[in-house]
Amino acid sequence: MVKSISTPLRLATMVFVVFTAIFLLAPLVVVVGVSVSESQFIAFPPSGFSLRWYEEVLGSDAYVGAAWISLRVAILVTLTATFVGGAAAIALHRRKLPFSGALATFFLSPLVLPTIIYAIGMLMLWSAIFGPVSIVTLWLSHTVITIPYVVRTTLAVLSESDPFLEEAAQTMGASRLQRLWLVVVPQCRPGLIAGAFFAFNISFDEAVLALFLRKPGLTTLPVQIYGQLEFSPDPSVAAVSTIMIALTITLILVIDRLLGVQKFASA
Amino acid sequence: MNDRAENTLLVLPGLALLALAFFVPITQMLILSVSGDDGPTLAHFTRFLGDPYYLGVLWRTVRLSILITVICAAIGFPLAYIMARVGPRLRLWLIVLVILPLMTSVVVRTFGWMVLLSRSGLIPEMLRDMGLVGRNFAIMQTETAIVIGMVQVLLPFMTLSILGIVTRIDPRLEEAARTMGCSFLQSLRTVVLPLAVPGIIAGSLLVFTLSASSFVTPNLLGGSRIQVLAASIYRSVTQTLDWPFAAAQAVILFVGILLILVPYARLAGGRSNG
Repeated sequence: MVKSISTPLRLATMVFVVFTAIFLLAPLVVVVGVSVSESQFIAFPPSGFSLRWYEEVLGSDAYVGAAWISLRVAILVTLTATFVGGAAAIALHRRKLPFSGALATFFLSPLVLPTIIYAIGMLMLWSAIFGPVSIVTLWLSHTVITIPYVVRTTLAVLSESDPFLEEAAQTMGASRLQRLWLVVVPQCRPGLIAGAFFAFNISFDEAVLALFLRKPGLTTLPVQIYGQLEFSPDPSVAAVSTIMIALTITLILVIDRLLGVQKFASA
Repeated sequence: MNDRAENTLLVLPGLALLALAFFVPITQMLILSVSGDDGPTLAHFTRFLGDPYYLGVLWRTVRLSILITVICAAIGFPLAYIMARVGPRLRLWLIVLVILPLMTSVVVRTFGWMVLLSRSGLIPEMLRDMGLVGRNFAIMQTETAIVIGMVQVLLPFMTLSILGIVTRIDPRLEEAARTMGCSFLQSLRTVVLPLAVPGIIAGSLLVFTLSASSFVTPNLLGGSRIQVLAASIYRSVTQTLDWPFAAAQAVILFVGILLILVPYARLAGGRSNG
């Protein structure tokens, strides 16, 4: 069929794809370019080549501190969301609970509500009950917004799994815990892994909740970058941003190794 | 322990977490939006809806979000179609092309656009060199900058939504249409596009909601003069510290999104069934 497409149309398609690719990648390429510039000022194309901005970033308490907070939150969120969301997905998949349809909607509902609305609610509630926000606030709220991803990826994997495996294990005398741990959880594994990656990536890059739930000493990396951009950007912002892009690329490579990027994209 | 108990135990941690850390905060916000010094009040809503400045902010938010959604659909549909029909190798590259920006922090991507669009940035310089614009031409701090940045941020969502549907369309349907005398573009318009409508709707709902509720990119690219509703909410929370008013604006944002999306989903959904 492809053969019968006229040459001008093929050319138009190629031009379209190239332009879209430039459009999608340009901001990333520019950030990487600026980060290796010698100049004091942000300029693209960069003038000269130097790694001084990376040195500056690695020696800056503000950036390193923020990175440390982001990493701690992201790891906590990944563990909690994968555990809680995965368990819920297993139960939801069996459809034996009353109102399972409504329950499934309930678990996906944080996807529908704009994060900014949730962020305000969380800030207001937390201040009313506990006072100043803390890393726990950030941990809980990031877990809430990432649970739907874990539930969705795990449900997708379970819907293609063999439902009789668990029954077989039961017939052979496996206890409840053995069935769950040795049969069902391994069946869920690709979904749990994909969900965990989503959770880590979302938490680490998230800026809205982190901006609303910040205080001095509780600044994540995206919030630190946002503050610099509003105030006085210099190429050190580009260096941090490049490190974040590098982390994303690493994440994608690992996902591709473990699951295949195509499967991940359709989740 | 029976099955019911096991399933309840599995679902309980998530249920409790979402109830306490998601639904209670939202309820709290709803309550705050109607609370005044002396009992319940609608004052925060009337203040917003009676002020031409805030109505202007609301109208800008709706207008820009619609524009961004339309542009994302116009680029996203052909892109998704191409992704679905090319060979596996090229498809992999195109998927990476879409996922890499998607998985990069919005703050980082917006920074890239700030560099590109700034007064001495690459894009205004190029346009000036080509003689298309005057010497005082600027894109930063305009609505155009917001639209460019937001389309780049949201295009991956639209593309992946449509891709999920388009990959399920049987290529033989198009072949049949071609055999019956359709040109390529005709088969695209009369076969693929109608079948892709559910994906386009899902993508539009997502992109519209995300674009109406985002403030990071609009704040950085549009500056403080060009406010959108979400940016105004952020300002009420962090600068003027008027939380009840922020809550009321958040309610208006969500109701506004629903008012536009529900009829749209109905209309488009009805058409694809009929």
